[in-house]
Amino acid sequence: MGKIVAVHSYKGGTGKTLISTNLAVTLAKHGKKVCLMDLDFRAPSLSTLLNINKVEYWLNDYLNGVCEIDKILIDLGDRISKQGGFFVGLANPSVEAIRDMSSKDRKWEMRALGRLLSLRNSLLNGKNFDYIIFDTSPGLQYSSINAIVSADLVIVATTLDNSDVEGTRRMLRDLYDLFEKKTEIVLNKVMYEDALRSGRDKLQALVKETYEVPLLGVIPCFCDISRAEGKIIFVHEKPQHPFTRILEDMAGKIDKL
Amino acid sequence: MVSEREVLGRKPLQILEKIKESLERLNEKMEIMIELQKHGRRELETITPEAPLDVMTLLSMPDHLRKTAMTICRLGRATADEVAQQTHRARAVESAYLNQLVVMGYLKKERRGRKAYFYINKEGQG
Repeated sequence: MGKIVAVHSYKGGTGKTLISTNLAVTLAKHGKKVCLMDLDFRAPSLSTLLNINKVEYWLNDYLNGVCEIDKILIDLGDRISKQGGFFVGLANPSVEAIRDMSSKDRKWEMRALGRLLSLRNSLLNGKNFDYIIFDTSPGLQYSSINAIVSADLVIVATTLDNSDVEGTRRMLRDLYDLFEKKTEIVLNKVMYEDALRSGRDKLQALVKETYEVPLLGVIPCFCDISRAEGKIIFVHEKPQHPFTRILEDMAGKIDKL
Repeated sequence: MVSEREVLGRKPLQILEKIKESLERLNEKMEIMIELQKHGRRELETITPEAPLDVMTLLSMPDHLRKTAMTICRLGRATADEVAQQTHRARAVESAYLNQLVVMGYLKKERRGRKAYFYINKEGQG
């Protein structure tokens, strides 16, 4: 049976989209059937990142009950991995759609949760997907909490920035604990020297002490990533890069969880 | 061939099961009466809760009820037995919590023969 993995964070700009996209592609390259979904309805980014122009149905439509899930799946297997399978579901980036999604009432959110939960049946059981990866909005808002509740595993991306650490800690305690979610931390934008082997144990201890959840991986600050300007899928274009190896390590760990 | 002893043995078993079933139903009725009393109501009319069973409602619930409510969210529609299998708590405990959620208006209950199914009340006001 497949898994639903949500990638979340307290603050914006911590690398959720970078991690979720590259993780999804890595898993697909490992032969898994993967679906990556953009649940960041306030600031959609996957359609730009993946350079997809023609979209008939969006995830917004699925959550609105306008269409079934198979209508929104876009097959990118040709581009990424033919042996596994790589599909995406996109959030509508138009201002009108963003406005519409931010004005939903609680009853709608309850139904949206139901539709996210039913993906387990329709995609994992029905279409044999191994992974559904949710890229979410930062912080505590409906769409992200719905995603967290629906997921089997939540990966929380965080930096060593003080306000991020404090907020993440509070969020794990006051939100994640209540839903009893299996959670792993990814430390992103760590100074390169700290991320090396000697500093690694220290970071591990720090994460354990601060967040009381396991550390899935450490990603150092790579100028190459900034230089790429979010125009490429790093693990796909740069198979030899250390970042790619870190992501492969994470994908392996997730597979064993 | 069924031996005479087996036939004789089966009858008391059936009777015991019938009694157990009746007791469970009675227990359930008592639970609902107690819950109604607690909420100062007299009948199990369809009430509309202040908010629907969304994630914010789940967050504000006491831990023991949240676990049950989340299991119903995941399963969609389930019996107390099925919920108990997921939460690893006793069936009677889950039955009590489920009925509590029905009285609060978050869940609906439907009887099909011997089984009672619980599901989310999607008509709740938002």
